[in-house]
This record gives sequence, C-alpha cells and structure tokens, in this order.
Amino acid sequence: MKRIVKLVSALALLMMTGVAAQAHAHLTQASPAVGSTVTAAPKVVTLSFSESLEPAFSSVAVTNANGVAMQAGKAALVPGTKTQLQVKLKPLKPGTYKVQWRVLSVDTHRTQGDFSFRVGP
Amino acid sequence: MSNHIIGAALRRAAAMLMTMLVTSTAAGAHEIVGNRMFPATLAIDDPGVADELALPTVAMTKTGDDPSVKQLDVSGEYSKLITEDFAVSFAPTWSHVYAPGGPNLAGASGFQNLETTFKYRAYKNAEHEFVMSVGLNVEWGGSGAQDVGAERSKTYTPTLYFGKGLGDLPASMNWARPFAITGQLGYAMPASRSAASVDPDTGDTVITTNPNVLTWGGTLQYSLPYLKSAVVDLGLPDFVNHLIPIVEASLQTPVASFSDSGTVTTGTINPGVIYVGDSYQIAVEAVIPINRQSGTSVGGIAQMHFFLDDIFPNSIGKPIIGSGIATGRPTLGH
Repeated sequence: MKRIVKLVSALALLMMTGVAAQAHAHLTQASPAVGSTVTAAPKVVTLSFSESLEPAFSSVAVTNANGVAMQAGKAALVPGTKTQLQVKLKPLKPGTYKVQWRVLSVDTHRTQGDFSFRVGP
Repeated sequence: MSNHIIGAALRRAAAMLMTMLVTSTAAGAHEIVGNRMFPATLAIDDPGVADELALPTVAMTKTGDDPSVKQLDVSGEYSKLITEDFAVSFAPTWSHVYAPGGPNLAGASGFQNLETTFKYRAYKNAEHEFVMSVGLNVEWGGSGAQDVGAERSKTYTPTLYFGKGLGDLPASMNWARPFAITGQLGYAMPASRSAASVDPDTGDTVITTNPNVLTWGGTLQYSLPYLKSAVVDLGLPDFVNHLIPIVEASLQTPVASFSDSGTVTTGTINPGVIYVGDSYQIAVEAVIPINRQSGTSVGGIAQMHFFLDDIFPNSIGKPIIGSGIATGRPTLGH
C-alpha cells in the first residue's frame, strides 16, 4: 500500500510541477470570443493555446454561412509568442462565421476544434 | 434441500452479483473524438482506448446481502496502448468487508479477482463525435480471495462500447450541444456452470449455478469544457470550465442459468461530477442502489485518473506499435 501511495504522490507531483508533462494544446482564449457577437467586423482571428505549437503543422480556417473561406493567407504564430496563432481575414459582412482550428503541439499531440462567432448588431 | 442450504445458495448468488457490481466500478479509458473528450467514467467503461492510469478508485457501499454489510473497495487500472486502436488493461481491486455486527468484529479483507480487458476501437467519426469499441473482459477466477466474494471460476465478458456527443445538433439547440451519452452492453459467461461452497452455518456443501449475466449501462454527461471552447464562452470561473456533471447507470441482469440467482436486475445509479485537468481528472459520485438486492443505502466513489499520454508523451504514454502521434484532447479552457 505504501508503494501505491508513493506512486500516486509522484504522479500528482509531476502534474503540479509540469516536470514531465507536455499536455495537449488546448484552446484557452479566442478573439472574437467563442459564441460571441461583435458589432465591428474583426480583421484577424487570434487563438491562444495552453502549449507551444508547431506552426508548420497548425492551421486555422474561417468560413461564412455558405462555406466560403474568409481567411486571407495561412495562420502564423503571433510574433514573440509560441502559443498564439493568428490568421488575417477578408472583409466580413454581417453574418455567422465558423472557425476551425487544428494544431500540433511541440510534443506531437494533435488537437482540433471549431466554434462560431457572429458579426452584426 | 434445507432452508439453510437454500439460504446459503441465495447468499452466494447475491454475493456473486455484488462482486460484479463492485468490480465493474473499475474505470476505463478516456477518448477524444473531434471536438469531444469523453472522460474516463467510474461505473462503466468509456468508449475509447488510451494510455492511462486510474489510481486510486475508492468506493464505500452497503451490499445487498442479508444482512447487509459495509464494503470498502480500493482499486486501480492501468491501460496500455499496444497500437493506436488496441489497448490492454489490468485492474486489481482490494476489498474490505466489514462484519455485520459492527466495527469491533474482524470482517474480511482481500483482493477480488484480477481483471484484464482487451479493447479495440473499431470506429470513430470526428464530425459526429461518435466512437465505438469492442472488447473482451476476463475475470481471472481463483486469483482473488473467496472471503470477499471472489469467484473461483473465470468469467469472460465480450462487450460493446459506444459514445455519442451531441455537438452536431443545429445552432438553434446550442444549449444541448455539450451533452454526450455513452453506453456499454456485455454478456458475462462463467467458464464453469456451477460452483461448490461450504455453508458456514451448517457445514453442508452447497452447489450453485453460475448465471450468464447481461452487463449494461450508460452515462449522460454535460461538458462545460465543451461549452466554453465550442459553443459559447460565458466567462465562467476557470474551475467551473473544467467540470463535467454526469449521471452513470451500471446494471446486471441474469439471463441464463439463473436458477439460484433469479432474474432480478441489480445495479446502481451514480450522479456526480468530473474535474478534467490537462493531464489528469478527479471524479466523485454518489452510488445509489436501484433496489434492495443492489444495496441498502447510498454509497460513494471517488477516483484519481492520470492521462499518461500527456504526462509521458515520449515513453510509456505512447503506443508500443505505431506513430505515437495522439489524436488529441481538445479545448479545455483555463
């Protein structure tokens, strides 16, 4: 039983200190925010993640209600960061837009997700 | 057959079903399908495979025996990916059965039979957040202590597992998109049709039949991490954004060779909550018996669960065979 307690304690310590853990890259923040309505059309979408990313294997796509791509170019890291991904947008009209992201963290874990935001009053 | 022998047979059958109840609390793998993370659940196995360690799982219940006794179970489960889609897990459980007369009597302690599960993820659809796996659970009869109800016969349980997230509902039903359901359906077949035991009251030898049992159950869960990252960010506190409220049901129904056990379905309903971190999860649930044969009062269960693919991504946290690039657990907020 003492060995089990020691093992659990060691794993708990690893989790807390992050010594060995390089977890999946989770979406921590988005601009525009997930599910939000913005009155002014954004010119970029910025996504913040919990882990450092491999930009060459990470992507962000933004589509309008008809499925037309609205991103202008490829997603890239925000200068000076390793965890924030940004993609420029074409001019957006009022409507609902879907953001689909797919990233690879530096420890080779792949994650993906999507959400929507709305431009309008 | 005397009343004593009948009583002993019924007690033994009830004890066997209770053992199935207890050992079915060992948790299984978590799973990621598209936007959706299916957490590891406590009462039934979740629909996927992964490198992970559930340690410890602690449960306190009152059995359906007559008289009912309090039982403490401490269990663990180590699951190892052999390939991206195939895992083998090992689950020992240590039990302490308190004496019916109260805390001053000795009771009994020992390990339940060791369980091994071979599980293959057969289908996965990211767009519809659907996953299905098939598995074979083997309870190694004779490896545990009979004092705590461990059977001497091996039991084989082929099982079907599934999970479905509701993220593909239309935007008009956004509030429901964080919901997910999981389920399992298994058929437990003892290797031996009958078992002999000695009635402790009379010393008579009792022969009882081992029933074939349908093991079934499901979960209904609402993922606040999913709500935040895929539906709407409500600006809730960070702690709340990691919670998954859940209700589990774990049930057993004898369907063949049930002359001693009867056909009464036993099981529990477990409402609770799971906190999901980056590399671990913590779960707490109440254990509510569905009838007298399933227990006599509300119990509780708690579990610490580690995602080894996150903690050790370059060593024991990746499949033995295959690329080792994980499919990913998306979208937990901070």
